[in-house]
Amino acid sequence: MLRADDLHKTYVMGKATINVLSGASISAEKGEFLVILGSSGSGKSTLLHLLGALDIPDRGDVSFQGQSVFHRSRQSREDYRNREVGFVFQFYHLLPELTVLENVIIPRLIGTPALKWLSHRREAKKEAQMMLERVGLSHRVKHRPNELSGGERQRVAMARALINKPTLLLADEPTGNLDEKIGAEILSLLNEFNDAGQTVIMVTHDVRVAACAHRQVRLTGGKIESVVPTRPSPALA
Amino acid sequence: MYKWFLAWRYLHTKLIAFFGIASVMLCVAMVLVVMSVMGGFLDTIRERSRGLHSEIVLESGTLQGFPFYEEFQKYLETHHEDVVSVTTPVIYTYGIFRVPATTYTRPARVVGMRLKEYTQVNDFKHGLHYEHYFPGTTHLGMQRMPLGGVDAQQKLVLPADLEAANARWRAEESDAKQLADYAAHPYEIVMYPPSVVLPIQGERVYAFGDEGPGYVGPEKSGVIIGCDLLNERRPDGNFNRHLARGADIALTLMPMSPTGNVTGEPPVRLPLRYVDDSRTGIFEIDDLCIYVDLDMLQHKLAMDPQPLADGGMTSARVNQLLVGLRAGNDLEVSKAVVAAAWEKFLLSLGDQLSMADERALSFVDVMTWEDLQRPFIAAVEKEKVLVTLLFSLISLVAIVLVGCVFYMIVEKKTRDIGILKAIGASAQGVAGLFVVYATAVGVCGAILGILLGSVFVWNINDIQAFLASLNPQLRVWSPEVYSFDKIPEIVKTWDAVGIAVVAVLASVVGSFIPAAIAGRIWPVDALRYE
Repeated sequence: MLRADDLHKTYVMGKATINVLSGASISAEKGEFLVILGSSGSGKSTLLHLLGALDIPDRGDVSFQGQSVFHRSRQSREDYRNREVGFVFQFYHLLPELTVLENVIIPRLIGTPALKWLSHRREAKKEAQMMLERVGLSHRVKHRPNELSGGERQRVAMARALINKPTLLLADEPTGNLDEKIGAEILSLLNEFNDAGQTVIMVTHDVRVAACAHRQVRLTGGKIESVVPTRPSPALA
Repeated sequence: MYKWFLAWRYLHTKLIAFFGIASVMLCVAMVLVVMSVMGGFLDTIRERSRGLHSEIVLESGTLQGFPFYEEFQKYLETHHEDVVSVTTPVIYTYGIFRVPATTYTRPARVVGMRLKEYTQVNDFKHGLHYEHYFPGTTHLGMQRMPLGGVDAQQKLVLPADLEAANARWRAEESDAKQLADYAAHPYEIVMYPPSVVLPIQGERVYAFGDEGPGYVGPEKSGVIIGCDLLNERRPDGNFNRHLARGADIALTLMPMSPTGNVTGEPPVRLPLRYVDDSRTGIFEIDDLCIYVDLDMLQHKLAMDPQPLADGGMTSARVNQLLVGLRAGNDLEVSKAVVAAAWEKFLLSLGDQLSMADERALSFVDVMTWEDLQRPFIAAVEKEKVLVTLLFSLISLVAIVLVGCVFYMIVEKKTRDIGILKAIGASAQGVAGLFVVYATAVGVCGAILGILLGSVFVWNINDIQAFLASLNPQLRVWSPEVYSFDKIPEIVKTWDAVGIAVVAVLASVVGSFIPAAIAGRIWPVDALRYE
């Protein structure tokens, strides 16, 4: 379903050039839970950003359902981010001016044509409420992000990532900012979504967190060091 | 549509937006105040200028005046009855005005007029003080001094004709405030000489003497005096009257020959009776002009027909002939008709003209009231354009301010921009969000600015009075400088709409660069932004 081939990415920091990715290639199948493991600076977040088209590689390509992500128009790439991919970040990245419900529906509203605004908004609100119920936050819909705990914020971020029913859920250290107990709850939620058929690619440096994945991809120095199956995947069966 | 949704949220949750709104609001208010005051100034000049003259004016521009005006009046009445409704001659000269009772003297511009005709061609009647409260009692003919007193109920009682006139005013006046003010403080509004004044606890109390209400003293020709020439202006715009109606006034004049030589030795001294004061609203006029009967003045200035050595008589002279038009006649077309009539009339005079008459007539111009005031109006029009332009240029600051505010907002919201892009917002969408946000800021700022500017303009005279009460140096509007006794207080709807539209456009333009920057932010950079 998703395939990254020979991805290269270099950052220029002042006079220094840093090779973050040097020919990384991975693939993920529908329904799979893939974890990208690596130490800080190994390029795992960069790889995730490239998979989600938040950044452009210097070389290499990502293909999604057989179509190149980077050899398409900018608008098509924006549509890819809006409809096919859902992001969950370590620091939640919620919009502080919006309520929980509004944060969840905003990806749906971005893709809504002006003429269908009212009907789509009504529909999006209903779905957002259902999604928030699923992540256990139906009682917090009118709250602002600053009124929530870290775990609650991450659940809102997950609901936002899934509101458009994306094919791919990309999670960048989703438990990195949470304590062990809350982190476990978030992982459990990710597993729950994955069990329901949601493809998940998660970046982490925590081996214990990585244990929940079907496969672990270890990244070292911008290259794939190993790909280790950890538990059977229905997608790979 | 999400752009509007987010812009609305940002608008009322981001404090920084209020700085943008405040800058737009202040610029809008500033331009509106300037445009309204200057526009009002210009409109007042036009309105007052029109009210001072008739539609068409024949003027020689010389002090000795021009002859044959009566013949031309008849000519117009005969040949252009459909255009001209009324004509009236006016004499202008200069003299020394004196109040014998107080020995107060001032130079004055003396206007000779036939009051009844004069008030038919312009708005002079509306500015007469006693004529307002005692309709039909102001005239420039011979008259004696009215005496008042109080009855047993301490009520002011005037001679019967004045009481009847005042009763007429009270019956017809629809302004309840004026009626109440007059009922409460008649002595502050009108001043009649009392037959006896009893000073009680520092106040003047009128009382009957033996004579009772009536008229006393010798008959003298009436004089109307400019309100600023005689009275003391109060901060509220009204006047303290120190001279009673009917008081003696002396006027010293210098007659001129048809060739402009000063004649008469010693100068002519006229005893007059103060009958009313006039308020045109133009300070230069109200502080300088006094108005007397045309025929009396003409005679005293030797501008009436004078015997010639050959046994003939000179023609009477005046300085202006005011021509009132019938309703529905176009001003410029009528001016052309009157000018052509004047040319024809001059030709008809043929050989009967003396050298002095011929010269005096050559100075006469046919003008509309606009022509007469054009140099002044044009100067103010240019001033209005210039001041508006200057303040509009200053208002470019609004664009820069909005630009700066939005640049700061984009800086502050960089991570949000990254989030929006990560969830699929396009570059145009993000840029559009900030343009929409700026539009909302512009609309709010423009509405608040219009409100602030309008409230300021509507209360500008009160604000000035308040500031002056704190420190007299803060009185910025001086009637001596700006001609009018009040700052114009009218806001024109279309001025306000125009300024609001420009302000919103300025806000939008100001947001273009920050919006473009926001649109070009790379999502991954924005998410990493600290």
